[in-house]
Amino acid sequence: MPKLERSQWYDLCRDMNWRFKYVTEGEVFPEALSQSHGIPAAAWWTWDEPYKISYREYVHNQAEKDASVYSVRSAIARSRTFENLDPGWKAAIIAHYGAIAMPEYLATIGEARMGRFGRAAAWRNMALYGTLDEARHGQIQFSFSHDLLKKEPRFDWAHKAFHTNEWGVIAIRHFFDDIFTSNDAVSTAIQLTFTVETGFTNLQFLGMAADAMETGDVVFGALISSIQTDEARHAQQGEPTLRLLIQHGKKAEAQRLIDVAFWGSWRIFALLSGLAMDYYTPLAHRSMSFKEFMLEWIVKQFIDQWRDLGLERPWYWDLFMQELDWLHHALHLGIWFWRPTVWWNPDAGMSAAEREWLEAKYPGWHDRFGTYWQTIAENVRQGKIGLTYPETLPVVCNICQIPECSPTIGAPPRLVTHNGRVFTFCSDPCKWIFEQDPARYAGHLSIVDRFVAGHIQPPNLPGALAYMGLSPVEQGTDAMNYAWAFEQPQSAATPVS
Amino acid sequence: MAIVPLQAAFRGDFVVLLVPVNDEDTMEIVAQKVAYHVIHRRLPPQDAPMRVRYTDRVLPTDQTVAQAGLSPMSFVEVFYDA
Repeated sequence: MPKLERSQWYDLCRDMNWRFKYVTEGEVFPEALSQSHGIPAAAWWTWDEPYKISYREYVHNQAEKDASVYSVRSAIARSRTFENLDPGWKAAIIAHYGAIAMPEYLATIGEARMGRFGRAAAWRNMALYGTLDEARHGQIQFSFSHDLLKKEPRFDWAHKAFHTNEWGVIAIRHFFDDIFTSNDAVSTAIQLTFTVETGFTNLQFLGMAADAMETGDVVFGALISSIQTDEARHAQQGEPTLRLLIQHGKKAEAQRLIDVAFWGSWRIFALLSGLAMDYYTPLAHRSMSFKEFMLEWIVKQFIDQWRDLGLERPWYWDLFMQELDWLHHALHLGIWFWRPTVWWNPDAGMSAAEREWLEAKYPGWHDRFGTYWQTIAENVRQGKIGLTYPETLPVVCNICQIPECSPTIGAPPRLVTHNGRVFTFCSDPCKWIFEQDPARYAGHLSIVDRFVAGHIQPPNLPGALAYMGLSPVEQGTDAMNYAWAFEQPQSAATPVS
Repeated sequence: MAIVPLQAAFRGDFVVLLVPVNDEDTMEIVAQKVAYHVIHRRLPPQDAPMRVRYTDRVLPTDQTVAQAGLSPMSFVEVFYDA
């Protein structure tokens, strides 16, 4: 019997939509979980995915992808590839696994919610694949990081991180809870699949894959490239959802959802991809600067997609463009200085050649950040290591949960009193996000709030480190054992670059 | 005497810090407590007196935290008055 072409049966098999007689639409699709935005059910049924695939094809493709990645893993397993990797690159992948592996697994919750509460069968079908994708991404990253446990025990943080209250994990968890684990189906499609996966994951998964291959970390490069192929497919749930909202007069709400998620994504990926690309990747193997990646993948390509859909750039665009020049440099300095509070060994990236590269890629970098590093390097050379460590916590923002790095570059913290409690925000967009829906965010305590409230005992930095799940052997230290500080004589009068 | 945790920045530094002070501390002491976490660590010292700014006011050096009306998580900026 001749086989039908897929186009002849696909829509019929996919479109299991029907009108309910014995229950109400609201009982099947509660607004809190689904969020119709008042768009009629039949209109949702026009939702159409741009990339079509059958379950049989999906399984076939995924099996081939796994076979390819696992074969690279097997081929490399007995080599000393990992041992020969640059210490800075090791920091990048240890940070990556802790920050990303468990959230991938958690993303199954968001995908499964769309798979159940999405208003169109076509969408639910695609979300099913997304659910399976995210389970794969969690499992494959747990498995690959487990291979490296015997070489570096902190790969344990691939699994452990999200079961701790480490401050960076709180920041990532807060953002991901907002946009997918605790979000309705429509908002998840717009905030997770469109904003994060169509835009920002390219930085970590394509940009880092390029750096991995350059650095010689073939396994990691193959792994995250393979993951990105899944992301590129299920990310396409966002666009048809956006089109429907815009067609039905809900452009303002779509824009608001994107603006919230774009800002949060910027904060998290500046922390993760920004440090990895501009400081942890060995200089000789940096394919592009973080800013160059942002300009190419986000400012140009991603924003072009917004325009095609009739969306506007976020209202805080000018601030975002300014921050491209300094935010991740400030975060890097902070993470290096507060290095006991992270589970990887931050690479200062302060050799003379690296400083020259930073000044070339970010003109003015030295004037903004050189003095700090100069003082730190001098303390290292004089054996005053104690002065290169913190004795208190930085204040973190009540929305992005990231240290407030702005005094010399931006404005003081934005303070808002809500129901008698003072909330602090690093920036106008974070304050704006809070004010969009205070009830959604007000119950959360930042790591600093917990410290002030007495949840952290003893109330000092060692107590905070214990609270964050960081034993002394897990706490970060300088990746290069401070060799960069001794590379060349520096005096207070000598610029570092 | 009560502890008052402040949000504090030293002008020229890059990050806001959590600095616990006592409500009886004068602004001179507050400035020293903030500077302890910044000067010689990320910024060099200057031969100039330090001042504390709260909202749009520079507070007198002998004024206490309680007298200035600082409450938990108030933001202050410390700077060299050079």
